Amino acid sequence: MGEFEVHRVRFFGLVPAGVRCLACHPRGSRLALARTDGAVEVYNFAANYFQEKVIPGHELRTVESLCWAAGDRLFGAGLSGDITEYDLSGLSAARGVDGGGGPIWSMVANSTGTQLAIGCEDGSVKIFQVVPGGIQFERNLDRRKGRVLCLSWHPSDTHIVAGSIDFFRVIDVTSGQTVQRIMVNHHVEKAKRECVVWAISLLSSGTVVSADSFGRVQFWDWEQGTLAESHTVSTSAALSLAVSEKEDSIIVGTSTGATYQLQLLPVTLGGQEKRWVRTKPFQFHSHDVRAVAHSPTALISGGLDAQLVIRPLMEKIQKKSYDAALRKFTFPHRRLVSCARKARLLLFQFSQYLELWRLGSTEETGKDGEVLPLCQMPEHLVQLKSKGPEHIYCSCVSPCGTWVGYSTASRFHLYRVHCDGDGVSLRKVPKVPKLLPPAYQLQFSADSDSLFVASARGSVHVFQLLEPGGCKHLHTLRPPSGCSEAVYLLAPSADGHWLAAVSGDWVSAVVPSVHCPLLQHHCTVPTYNCAVSALAIHPSTNNLVIAYSDQQLLEFSIPEKQYTSWSRAVQSRGLHRAWLERDSPITHITFNPKNPSHILLHDTYLLCVLDKSLPLPDDSTLLMNQSTLKQLPETARKRQLHAFKICKKFQPLLFMDLLDENCLVVVERPIMDFKTQLPLPVQQKKFGT
Amino acid sequence: MVAPGALRVVRCGGSALRGARAVFSADSKYLLYVSGDFVKVYSVNTEETLRLMGGHADLVTGIQLNPHNHMQLYSCSLDGTIKLWDFMDGIPIKTFTVGTKLLALYTLASAEDSVFAVIPKKGERDTFQLVSVTLTKGAGQDLEGKELSVVLDGVGASMKHIAFGREVCSPSGFFFLLCSVGCTTKTKGGDNRFSCVVCHPKEDCIATGHADGKIRLWRNFHDKKEYTYSTLHWHHDIVMDLAFSIEGTRLLSGGVESVLVQWHNESSCQKDFLPRLGSPIEYISMSSDGDLCCTLHTDNRISIINSNLRFSRSIQGLIKSRDVKTGLVVDPRTKALVLNGEPGHLQFYSLQSDQQLFSLDIVQRQYIHQAGLKQSDLVKVAFSAQGTWLATVEESEEVTDPELQLKLWFYNEEIQSFELNTRINTPHDNHITDMCFRDMDELGDDSLILVTTGRDCVFKVWVMVEDTDPEGIILYWEICDFVGSYHNYQATNCCFSEDGSLLAVSFEETVTVWDSLTWDLKCTFCHPPGNIRNICFGRLTCSKYIIGATDYGFLCCWNLLTCALEWSAQLNVVVLQPDPLSEYIAAISWLSKESSLFVFKPNEPLPVYIQRNLCKDKILLAAFVPRDEPEITSSEKYPWLRKSQLFFLTDTQICETKILLTFFFKLAVEESLPVTPFSLLLGKHRHQQAQEDTDLGKLVVHNKQKQASPAVKELLHTPAHVLPSASFLCTIFINSLLISKEKKSAEEVADEVEMESEKAEDDSDEEDITAMEQEDTSHMELLGEMTCKLSKSQEKELRKIRKMDYSWISAL
Repeated sequence: MGEFEVHRVRFFGLVPAGVRCLACHPRGSRLALARTDGAVEVYNFAANYFQEKVIPGHELRTVESLCWAAGDRLFGAGLSGDITEYDLSGLSAARGVDGGGGPIWSMVANSTGTQLAIGCEDGSVKIFQVVPGGIQFERNLDRRKGRVLCLSWHPSDTHIVAGSIDFFRVIDVTSGQTVQRIMVNHHVEKAKRECVVWAISLLSSGTVVSADSFGRVQFWDWEQGTLAESHTVSTSAALSLAVSEKEDSIIVGTSTGATYQLQLLPVTLGGQEKRWVRTKPFQFHSHDVRAVAHSPTALISGGLDAQLVIRPLMEKIQKKSYDAALRKFTFPHRRLVSCARKARLLLFQFSQYLELWRLGSTEETGKDGEVLPLCQMPEHLVQLKSKGPEHIYCSCVSPCGTWVGYSTASRFHLYRVHCDGDGVSLRKVPKVPKLLPPAYQLQFSADSDSLFVASARGSVHVFQLLEPGGCKHLHTLRPPSGCSEAVYLLAPSADGHWLAAVSGDWVSAVVPSVHCPLLQHHCTVPTYNCAVSALAIHPSTNNLVIAYSDQQLLEFSIPEKQYTSWSRAVQSRGLHRAWLERDSPITHITFNPKNPSHILLHDTYLLCVLDKSLPLPDDSTLLMNQSTLKQLPETARKRQLHAFKICKKFQPLLFMDLLDENCLVVVERPIMDFKTQLPLPVQQKKFGT
Repeated sequence: MVAPGALRVVRCGGSALRGARAVFSADSKYLLYVSGDFVKVYSVNTEETLRLMGGHADLVTGIQLNPHNHMQLYSCSLDGTIKLWDFMDGIPIKTFTVGTKLLALYTLASAEDSVFAVIPKKGERDTFQLVSVTLTKGAGQDLEGKELSVVLDGVGASMKHIAFGREVCSPSGFFFLLCSVGCTTKTKGGDNRFSCVVCHPKEDCIATGHADGKIRLWRNFHDKKEYTYSTLHWHHDIVMDLAFSIEGTRLLSGGVESVLVQWHNESSCQKDFLPRLGSPIEYISMSSDGDLCCTLHTDNRISIINSNLRFSRSIQGLIKSRDVKTGLVVDPRTKALVLNGEPGHLQFYSLQSDQQLFSLDIVQRQYIHQAGLKQSDLVKVAFSAQGTWLATVEESEEVTDPELQLKLWFYNEEIQSFELNTRINTPHDNHITDMCFRDMDELGDDSLILVTTGRDCVFKVWVMVEDTDPEGIILYWEICDFVGSYHNYQATNCCFSEDGSLLAVSFEETVTVWDSLTWDLKCTFCHPPGNIRNICFGRLTCSKYIIGATDYGFLCCWNLLTCALEWSAQLNVVVLQPDPLSEYIAAISWLSKESSLFVFKPNEPLPVYIQRNLCKDKILLAAFVPRDEPEITSSEKYPWLRKSQLFFLTDTQICETKILLTFFFKLAVEESLPVTPFSLLLGKHRHQQAQEDTDLGKLVVHNKQKQASPAVKELLHTPAHVLPSASFLCTIFINSLLISKEKKSAEEVADEVEMESEKAEDDSDEEDITAMEQEDTSHMELLGEMTCKLSKSQEKELRKIRKMDYSWISAL
């Protein structure tokens, strides 16, 4: 594997925002997720639950509810009172339409996706028509006092049920009249506390399922207005609820972090009578589970502890495979850290500011596993706050450490870093050319004299950086054919001749870089059905190494415009099963200049040195064999060696880069550190304490 | 049948009440529960044990109501029989002999003529199978039940591991839900082994209890894949038993927490508790109308609980303490046996009713269930002669530095209980080994002194002092000036002579005799090698003797007047128990896995009675309990049983289940009478009675005889001149003659009696056992002769021993 001096960085204080709402695509292939900071993410189930798209948040645009409508259009509504459509190809929020009823607490689309119903603060339920290019107000339904916290359409679109505080009502859509109003805590004697209906669902049988702040899940017959069943699932509030498509299973999220499944089961074998039974409890979260979703094969929950948990239902999965594994996502599938190799600086990206740190250093040397004492402590150089309510899309520091750039939804900023002795000052580069916003990815060239800006519609802008602090727009690289998706990954080659770019629909194009006089599109890597999670160009061979979200690795020779023989060998042989069954995608690839056959990869849980010169492991051998290898004698070790050398020492790993030949930097964010930053969870009496 | 006239051991109490789940009768008026070999019928309303149904030869392992007749009960036992009872009358209707051990019993309403039982699989150890036993229809009482068909293999041995659920009758046949849980191996995640299983009575739902304290409710289990379960979790340790209510809306669970938990509607949020039930719950059963439920506890108690989770009443059997340190003491006041009960308590156990009378909290400290915690426990108990004073010693379990407390309790007539009078901290520096009161009825309170012996090599004398207080005269105990010791040996036993003038204290190998007035050392006795294990003084005519038993298996009798060894015998005595009302002393020996009983008078070197192989288990303790009235009939042959009964306590350990079973045994006499017209009359009468309740156990027989024949007894033992007129006696005679219709004739009975003989061994020396045929009934003179002869033949040997021993003593 080789020995490295490792900078183990734990001062990246990232606190991911909690999950506010989830929306499963009706066809079940995608999941939209909104966080409490207003960021919207789209996960692709088919591509191994990869976080495909991220639309950063906005201070004024909180998202309370998300829904898919009219095919693949995603709408969000929040307390700002606006309904926003998200441009998933341009990764930005379109201009919102005012709902006209104050803050919007909930929004649902009907079964055909043609109409949106919103529940507002003032107690009104409004219906909007989804039209091409936007939405149009259609009508108001019966308004009653009390904010509408949750809504649900009947599958036949004839009725809407709206949950408020202490009651819910059923509204006939055609007449707009309230046909039934049911007090949920009517039978609770002298209930002083108000009972908030947090989530509601109207089943095709006419049963209304409500989840309320008393921790109950109740089943009502809305026509009679009677309570059919009541399940107290928790002592604290039941916050969210989702019904499976077949209406035989319900998932409920509670404020204690537990989720429960309720199933409709026959009372006796072969009997017609069925009853809802609370079956499995799951405790994956430590905080409120504000959002749940029920896909055909999995229970999905998102909590304020920023975790997205996908718990597959074993009985729905045909064969026991990788799909049956529980997944938890806490950290984004993107890089939030960039590294200035030469200057040994790290730039951390937070939602609204950047932090620049200088790595510590040591003069000692030691054996494997030893902790070396620092002679110079890591130093927080500067914090750069983004102005305005918009959150940062991307950021980058140049390899020499003198340039820092970041972009928000509307603006692109470039700064020049001046190091004078101990002090560090940042100066904004004036007259940065106005770009068509936003920039999705920034990348400095290896010699730090040019900057690549990934932009919408598949274009990449090339800037020349001028001393002592200026920049000039050189060129815009455009994809060969018309392309609508934004470029979200860039990889320049070390010699500055090539640039690889990844966009949403075309996979990976290679464009000769600035020094080449032609500046034209060179080739496109053959399309693959999964998203690219990381890519890099090898410094000496100019081979492009691509990691896909389904854990496949490909090596593409840019000069030859074809896959390399090693890559073909990997494809024909297949990767190790344990490698393919990992949860998190590779987020960064780098190379060791000392050893050209080595590729360094990492995901959240492991760091891997891939040695192309060694044979690939087959399924019968152990993938993670480093510890067993250590115990073997030298000769036996040779026989056991295989290409994947995996280290799991650093977890969860947010970033890894090679500073020089034998110096690594890893950025960890221990879960416990991040948990302490969260608000206190609901107090629960724990036995034995 | 045991020969008449022979002594036999009767198991008379203290048996485990928790052999199987208890059963309520269909009208919930009676509770039927298992007590060792018996099934007891308890009236829920009157709190009385109505009937004792005995007949099984081994532990009863399961009882079930007959689903087709709610007045009948099936019971199965380890002796391999299934019995059908009419429990209202206590009559066995039928006995089906299966032949193999039966470990659990289940009945099913739709199975007309079969029951289900768990039996061990042939040829394989620790594997059990569930079989259906076809109960053949036949005229006789004893039937064969050998038609077995295996239903399920590899089931658990406990009755809690199988449950029968809803029955479905469909056109294609008849089904029932049967679930069985096995003990899976411990997984790394947690100990989720199954501990019990029950079925929902109305729905397809199975509830299982687990070793990690969770209850899982399984549904949809017909589907191999889409089965699902929900979890109820309150217990922190193993769920011992579960029970559904009749409608299935409530589920009761219990475990080591001693809390009964009631779950409503299978919801984990709605639950009720009945805490402080005293001890871990082992079984739960519910009455058919759902009004009552009962829990069987590990401390041998049955609690009956109302449907609204109110504790209603309890039946407390003998509490099995881990270690009966106090020994078996008889309370002079109640004649109850007194021994360790629950931790830190003294239980007063009535043998007559097989129930605990009350429990006295001695340690008065909260008992905390936790492994490894050093608890204080009661180790010694002594009563004064009248039972007015009770002395207790408690010590913590620490071996090196025990925390000792001596407490003296005074019986308060007003509150009918013992009150703490004096507490003495650290009475000795080391463990207290023995304690006794000097109890003389005639001398009054002044003579009352208490002697304690300790491992700190001294014995101490405690006296009562009076003190005046503003409220009156108060009595308390204080150490007397005298502290005795002997050559710095550890004091092991102490005992007062009958008149209280002499105190014998054993110091390891030596017995010392002290004058209790002047506290002078009078003399010492010794029988090396071996420490003295037990000592006691002879009583009444034998009060000049002192008896000691040593570790190396010698029983010695010293004469106090000559200060010489009177006789000695080699016998590994574990229990030496003098009868307080006669001169007889019982010694129980333990040798090569059998216990033997020897009863002797100190003045005679030959035992009065020997019973080899009294029982297989080691007898731990024994006690003579004074009879209320001296028994007359058996007195010719067993004079030592005239005034008292001998009870002893064994300790059986069943390897598999590791449950400690303790039983009380009693020696009862099967009487034999000289053949006279009266005896014929009596014999007939008795025989008929014995036939009536053949299997009801000795205790009942005894009681009935007492009740039934007072008139005849009166007749036999009253001088002729005081007898009433013949016309008055006539009705009694006629009455006694009337009942004996279909029984054997009197002559036959008499013949039988004569034919019966028993083998008795009458040699005090273990080495040469001479078995002797002994004609019981009509050859009393012959018996006497033989005894004389034998004693002569033995005398030489005894003399030899005496000489040898004497030299040992003199050498000291």
